[in-house]
Amino acid sequence: MTADPTLVRSLDDPDLMVQTPATIYDAIPPYPPRTEREAEFYAMGDGEMLINIGPQHPSTHGVLRVVLKIDGERVVDLDPVLGYLHRGVEKICENGDWHHAISNCDPLEYIASMFSEAMPVLVAEKLLDLEVPRRAEYIRVLAWELNRIASHMLFIGWLALDLGGLTPILYGFIERDEIVEMLAALTGQRLLFNYLRIGGVNGDLNHEFLSRLGDWMSHALKRADDESKLLNSNEIFVHRTRGLGVIDRDMARRTCLTGPPLRATGIPYDVRRAHPYSVYPELEFDIPTREEGDSYARYLLHLDEIKQSIHIIDQVLGKMPDGPVMAKVPRLLRVPPGRAYIAIESPRGQYSCFGMSDGSDQPFRLRIHDPSYFNLQAVGLLMPGHLIADTMAIMASLDPIMGGIDK
Amino acid sequence: MLAGPVTARHDTTEIRVTPEHLTDVMTALHDQPELRFLILSDLAGVDTGTVMQVVYHLWSDATPDWLRVICGDLLRDDPRIPSVTFLWNGAEWAEREAYDMFGIIFEGNRDLRRIYMSPDYQSFPLRKDFLLPDDSSRSPGMGIRHMEQAAPPAETRSAPTLRRGTGAATIAPGDAPTTATLPAAIGPEASA
Amino acid sequence: MSIITRPWSRMTLAGKIILPLLLLFVLLNILIVAGQMTGVLPVLVNGLFQVINDNVDIFRFIGAVTALLLFTVPAAFVIIFMEMKLIAFINLRLGPNRQGPWGVLSSTLHGFKVLAKEDFTPTGADVPVFTLAPVVTYLGAVMTIMVIPFAPGLFGLDMNLGLLYFFAVAGLGVIGLMMGGWSSFNKYSLLGGLRAAAAIISYEIPLTLAVVGVIMLTGTMSLNAIVLRQSGSFIDWFAFQQPLAFIIFFIAATAEGGRTPFDLTEADSEIVAGFATEYSGMRFGFFFFAEYVNLFILSALMVTLFLGGWNAPLDIQPLLDWLHITVNSAIDPGSLGIGLLWIILLVPPLAILAVTLPIWMIKSKWSFLKAFIVGFVIVNVIGGAILAVWAYITFPFVAGLFWFFGKAFTMVALFVIMRGTLPRVRIDELMGFAWKWLIPAALLNLFVTAGALLVLQAR
Repeated sequence: MTADPTLVRSLDDPDLMVQTPATIYDAIPPYPPRTEREAEFYAMGDGEMLINIGPQHPSTHGVLRVVLKIDGERVVDLDPVLGYLHRGVEKICENGDWHHAISNCDPLEYIASMFSEAMPVLVAEKLLDLEVPRRAEYIRVLAWELNRIASHMLFIGWLALDLGGLTPILYGFIERDEIVEMLAALTGQRLLFNYLRIGGVNGDLNHEFLSRLGDWMSHALKRADDESKLLNSNEIFVHRTRGLGVIDRDMARRTCLTGPPLRATGIPYDVRRAHPYSVYPELEFDIPTREEGDSYARYLLHLDEIKQSIHIIDQVLGKMPDGPVMAKVPRLLRVPPGRAYIAIESPRGQYSCFGMSDGSDQPFRLRIHDPSYFNLQAVGLLMPGHLIADTMAIMASLDPIMGGIDK
Repeated sequence: MLAGPVTARHDTTEIRVTPEHLTDVMTALHDQPELRFLILSDLAGVDTGTVMQVVYHLWSDATPDWLRVICGDLLRDDPRIPSVTFLWNGAEWAEREAYDMFGIIFEGNRDLRRIYMSPDYQSFPLRKDFLLPDDSSRSPGMGIRHMEQAAPPAETRSAPTLRRGTGAATIAPGDAPTTATLPAAIGPEASA
Repeated sequence: MSIITRPWSRMTLAGKIILPLLLLFVLLNILIVAGQMTGVLPVLVNGLFQVINDNVDIFRFIGAVTALLLFTVPAAFVIIFMEMKLIAFINLRLGPNRQGPWGVLSSTLHGFKVLAKEDFTPTGADVPVFTLAPVVTYLGAVMTIMVIPFAPGLFGLDMNLGLLYFFAVAGLGVIGLMMGGWSSFNKYSLLGGLRAAAAIISYEIPLTLAVVGVIMLTGTMSLNAIVLRQSGSFIDWFAFQQPLAFIIFFIAATAEGGRTPFDLTEADSEIVAGFATEYSGMRFGFFFFAEYVNLFILSALMVTLFLGGWNAPLDIQPLLDWLHITVNSAIDPGSLGIGLLWIILLVPPLAILAVTLPIWMIKSKWSFLKAFIVGFVIVNVIGGAILAVWAYITFPFVAGLFWFFGKAFTMVALFVIMRGTLPRVRIDELMGFAWKWLIPAALLNLFVTAGALLVLQAR
């Protein structure tokens, strides 16, 4: 290390932690601003102060760090800082073969990993022009919708938890636990399923899964109603979420929002209908939308989607065909060169993947588009002017998952 | 204005444009009432090994297909492309990610800085000449080398510094690993 | 016997504890007998009683302070355990269930854990203020117990300005919170401290205004007098004579105690832990205990002012008189004479044996020891219950304590249930609610009460 004291040192420098006096607690970074926006953000006005929310904070849903510029309790500006969970999944995928990519993509959206692990699978199938057995497609849809409900249940709990309600998250976890146990009976794992395969799924439906599913289906709708009763008519909850973080249609479109935040503004964009994939064209379901675009609308939309998913599961169980669950796919998979783009509707929005193959057994490029990454950008537009307490409510209502955001 | 033939495969229509025409093409796609490509589905940077590309995927309610716009043939040493944040401000972070991972400079993006890697990081990890040092790399025979070069941003440094703890070699400021082809992409210290 | 016959070094731990106690007991007995025989002891005891009688107020005060300081921590333990279990019940969880039967020891062990933890002071903190802050908060909470009448004749100090003293000392707590928030050198702490100051000072106004109606009705600020004024059945309680004031007081007390939905001072999802963010070890423990002591005190004050204090909800004496029933179960133990000694010596062992033997015969797989332990527990529980009923009938302060703590812990349970059910309000809603709704409502209550009093007195 050079001894020059005027030198601005690396942020990783251990000396920074030992010798520097209390000024290191300043949130202003020890290097000149890189862009005009950064310079504007870190130029402090009168009476303003910076406060770090995260990366370790009870309510940032992972290791998200948001630097808030506040004036009293009011948020003036904010700067989300990402990358605390960055592991370079796209690079790792390029260095493994196509089968490895499935388990590498699994932990991206760790609340609903059945969706993120579908990315390399669907891209490879499209590049291979592979015909997936119909039973496998139905099983996929079943697993996806179950996982969607599990994820939405947690969303409701988290929103309430960030508003200070202790109980709904535990009720949500009860429901999620039943679904996760069910999927564990199917896939063998509770969190990162690693169930989808290029050309089908890993294993057929088994007896334990079906019996658990039957038990759950018998009370699912009632439970969903019960879950909503605690919050729907709660005066404090409604008062705090209604009219909070209002997104209009134009802003939603320009901010590239997808999923519930977009549909809560009234745009019925759902990939399951906008660009149908798998067997969704054969199934009957609605795309619930809301007009208000605020946090409360997003919350209600999640409740509606839970009911639609239960409806879909009902139909899938009725229409489930017989047959194999795996197409004939070689172990050493050489995917023909080309580009392919696929998108599916995850609980948080459009989960899409752009894959390129150069004809080898490894993906040449696997670009994964995570909806939370784009949805999270809206906080920059929504939060200024609100109080600190509302930042959490807005962030929770956009439902970001840091595993996918940081890739 | 298109730089190549329009092709269609599966459910995707593919067009190619050059960086000069990107702004006009995208504006037309977004604004013209018979096209209505209002939703930007994805923005991806691509390193083909020889050139850089930026790939856009658009969706319109007028057609069931995806539209893929490939804006290609950017120079590896100085990839520059106009930003589309004037149409979709949500593309800001996607462009920041492409800048962070590939070093593609989006002109017009108001906040083009690294988003995942730390501010003192200098390499661009998703480029094809950035090889992983472990055995999952494409060329395990090359052994373990240190491709990640972390140092303060160039303008803040008066002299080359050695980053403690990683054992990285000393590098000169601005000496980014931007060699053109794969075999030569071993890095500056290996060729020395 | 083997305890005594063993050498000291080979004794079990129990022996090492029991043997010195046994020796001490024997020594004390010898001393007492010797004192009695020489006539020194009666003189000493009489002199001591004389001193106590001459300065009864001082001794009463010292006794009260000691008792209250010792009382607060167990009360906090009980409330914390109650909160853990109740919220677990609301959340459909089990709650603590490992430490002791049904986890009853968990909060106590938490207290010991807090004692054993490292006491950490952050860099840049203002050390003296940082150290003093929990003490100030805790003392502010504890000192208020002094004026609360727990039962007839069981109170620390009967001030004629008791209510004023209560609010004055309770206001001390917020100074501690602000000190902690400021001195921690942490922005979350700062925000928490300022929130605490803003919220608590705002809510003290409706809290005090709500009480003024009660003061007007009773004409005194002495809490004892206020309780005595509410004797009779529950219709005489001020909760039914001043319902609006009771509701205002309840809401304001929720904010004053920093409880959900007004727990913005330590809103964990916003400002981590508020003023307590940088505190650890026993300093944090002081804040933590102060919060629960505060909760108990506010409930106790609410019971004292509005729910009749230690008065039973229904006075059954008129009913009994009307039915010509006389309850004469109050046994004077003195009248039994030497028989009392025989009862104490003989009844418990015989009762235990009488319960143990049938159990031992029925449960043939149990050893005698096991049956004996079960019998011992059963007899103790039944005997305790009989003793409690007897004490309830005989001594008025036992009945008073029963009703006082019953009501106070019901109010605490109400606070806990609110915490399990409601989300948190926002800071501007919190302040707006105090200034726009609670204070006008309290003033309205005041005017209505004053008007009613005028009309009643004019008649």
